[in-house]
Amino acid sequence: MAGKSGRTISATPEKSWKKMIFGWEGILILIFIAINIYFSIVSPSYQFANILREMPKYLTEVFLLLPMVYILVLGEIDISVGAIVCLSATMSCMASNNGMPFPAVALVCILVGTACGIVNGIVLINFTELPPMIVTLATQIIFRGIAEIALGSGGSISLSNADGFRSIAGKVGNLVPYIFFLVVIAAIIYGVVLAKTTFGRNIYAIGSNRIAAFYAGVHVQKIRLICYTLLGFMSGIAALFLTSVLYGANTTTGNGFEMDAIAMAVFGGVSNIGGKGRMPGAIISAFIIMCLRIGLGQRNTNPQVILLILGALLILSVLLPNISASLNLKKKTVK
Amino acid sequence: MSEYVLELKGITKIFPGVKALNNVHFQLKKGEIHALMGENGAGKSTFIKVITGVHKAEEGEMFLNGQKVDFKGPRDSQNAGIAAVYQHPTSYPDLTVTENIFMGHEMMKNGIIQWKKMNDEATKLLKQLNADFKATEEVGALSVAQQQMVEIAKALSTNAEIVILDEPTASLTKNESEELYRIVEKLAADGVSVIFISHRFEDMYRLASRVTVFRDSQYIGTYNVDEITNADLIKAMVGREINDLFPKPEVTLGEEVLKVEGLSRLGYYKNVSFHVRAGEIIGLTGLVGAGRTEVVESVCGLTRADEGSVYLDGAKVTIKQPSDAMKQGIILLPEDRQKEGLIMSWGLGRNVTLPVISTYAKHGFTDEKKEQQIAKQLLEEVDTKAVSIFDAATTLSGGNQQKVVVAKALAQNMKVVIMDEPTKGVDVGAKAEIYQIMGDLAQKGYAIILISSEMPEILGMADRIIVMCNGKVTGELNRQEATQEGILELAMEKSK
Repeated sequence: MAGKSGRTISATPEKSWKKMIFGWEGILILIFIAINIYFSIVSPSYQFANILREMPKYLTEVFLLLPMVYILVLGEIDISVGAIVCLSATMSCMASNNGMPFPAVALVCILVGTACGIVNGIVLINFTELPPMIVTLATQIIFRGIAEIALGSGGSISLSNADGFRSIAGKVGNLVPYIFFLVVIAAIIYGVVLAKTTFGRNIYAIGSNRIAAFYAGVHVQKIRLICYTLLGFMSGIAALFLTSVLYGANTTTGNGFEMDAIAMAVFGGVSNIGGKGRMPGAIISAFIIMCLRIGLGQRNTNPQVILLILGALLILSVLLPNISASLNLKKKTVK
Repeated sequence: MSEYVLELKGITKIFPGVKALNNVHFQLKKGEIHALMGENGAGKSTFIKVITGVHKAEEGEMFLNGQKVDFKGPRDSQNAGIAAVYQHPTSYPDLTVTENIFMGHEMMKNGIIQWKKMNDEATKLLKQLNADFKATEEVGALSVAQQQMVEIAKALSTNAEIVILDEPTASLTKNESEELYRIVEKLAADGVSVIFISHRFEDMYRLASRVTVFRDSQYIGTYNVDEITNADLIKAMVGREINDLFPKPEVTLGEEVLKVEGLSRLGYYKNVSFHVRAGEIIGLTGLVGAGRTEVVESVCGLTRADEGSVYLDGAKVTIKQPSDAMKQGIILLPEDRQKEGLIMSWGLGRNVTLPVISTYAKHGFTDEKKEQQIAKQLLEEVDTKAVSIFDAATTLSGGNQQKVVVAKALAQNMKVVIMDEPTKGVDVGAKAEIYQIMGDLAQKGYAIILISSEMPEILGMADRIIVMCNGKVTGELNRQEATQEGILELAMEKSK
């Protein structure tokens, strides 16, 4: 039914693949391709099999990236994930050394992570005026503190029997690690949930305007709790796979993981102010950073230089959209 | 010397994609109060920003006391004796009144701030304005009206000859407005020229001697307030005639839909009872701060009442959060469109369907096709001026944003629609359309609660008027017996 003035309003969406190709995701794909071409020219060891072999330790961070995107789209931040990984890894190593069977060890690892996430969530939804940055800074110190107490004076623990962990570090066809498949599956699930479900829409609503979302009947606090819990759960999984590569844990396990996850998300076009960003961008950006690290590592580039390059890329990524926006504006100006 | 303190000729200002001002003129006499009127988006605010040097006009000339001037920024205009008080007080809430007044032009001696001297000066300015607060108070603790006074004091502290007030009465109560009128008249008597932007005709009649009207970025004309009729002025602003501002339809009232009984919340309101029938519009009024909004917020689950019950269709309901209220068929359309009503960065369609996405979803997956279809239909039903449902809410004018908010109420099976100040900051043309929609809703059998501080609106639209004062219901008036005076008397009743 048209209005009284007979005015009609269009309901035809702009094609989303067009947005994708000409948007930030398109640029990211180009960067990804360019980096891979560059490294395969300059580095003879930059080959598919080698990349896959080096991938697992980087892939663990993608587990954190996925729910971190949710948190960032909510307009919030969680900097305790590195500490959660450390605590989960420590607890699972201790459980394993106490003779628990591997399935139970894995369960401990995931449960500890999930519990930490729930702690973050419960504090934040009961004291809504507290800034997530400060709360998760506090819990970061607490979680890591607990891990350090558990680790004792030595500050590290090694697995006495790593058989169980080795079983999840296996490869399909002696080439593709299990974790790769798991990451792909998780990425698809997290991406689809964010883009296609009411839960995802509500996350965007809260991140764009929390008060308006509440007025519109969105269960704001419930959704925040779920997101923080998911991040804890995924931290547990990340810890499990990290331990399967490291065969132990120490006080520095998971150091800087939270910043890596946030950096990947922001580079992928997720705004830390909330309400903006999509999963595909974040995942492509994760793979760009992974290839950069592997490629530069193979060329024996100093690790500190790699950090410099990553930092520069990050600044560039937040600057570029601004520059292109101002260019667009100029184009639109009426003469 | 020129007859005019300020004169602008042929001002054209272009923003990316839009001509915000198109060859407009303006003349201000010394000691004159000059109203600037027009619908939202007519270019008033842009015009003010050109005068104050915030924006630079592409074309046109500006003369100050007959001399051509060319402001490069706000500082230039300040130095030239022009001060602007914007719609939303731009004060620093954590700083004191003195600090706010002298922000940017502190009194210094050898690079050290002269606090004592500044405080004395601020106290003097406040006294001049008859202010009832101290210069050492924090601005955040003051009421909006008092904050506005701070802004005016700030303008005076720069020895401004021209003061521009952008919608100063928008968030003031009637008493506070009176206070403001008095201050403005005093300024004019002291020889200060005042440009006054307002949507309220009352302001203009009370204060201004001349009025300039803009429409669609164009200059329409300047009139003597004594000589122009209300209808002519509206026509100048809207570009068409509005015959009936309040199209209240005759509706046969149905059953009682919502009943609120003995609702109390400590410190906000006490023992509030009322009911609404299907097809009925009740007006909930009172001064700002009387507890009107707080009551409906509790009814809708935004806050919890300490005592009392809410009945829907005769059955008691428990509402803990807004989603519960919506499930029961009660929706609150909040006062602040930009902060509470809409997600401004989102498209219109998504805004409209946000409360109902789960209704159309299958196993948690959203049905975008269906949503878009519904959104299109509803937005057309309320006659939103938009090109596409994917337009961002920011691109719409205030009146059209309000229509989008109203469309949300139509999106699901609502019975009770609560509108909190639905026409605040909305221009007269869009106001008439919103009243029309309100009337249509009543005719369709919705029970409507209209919260408003605007008397004509309450008197024009409500079947029954419930007046609140200091958190209590002080009276109920029928449409036939209600008068402005009667309402005011109840609204200002001293609490016992």
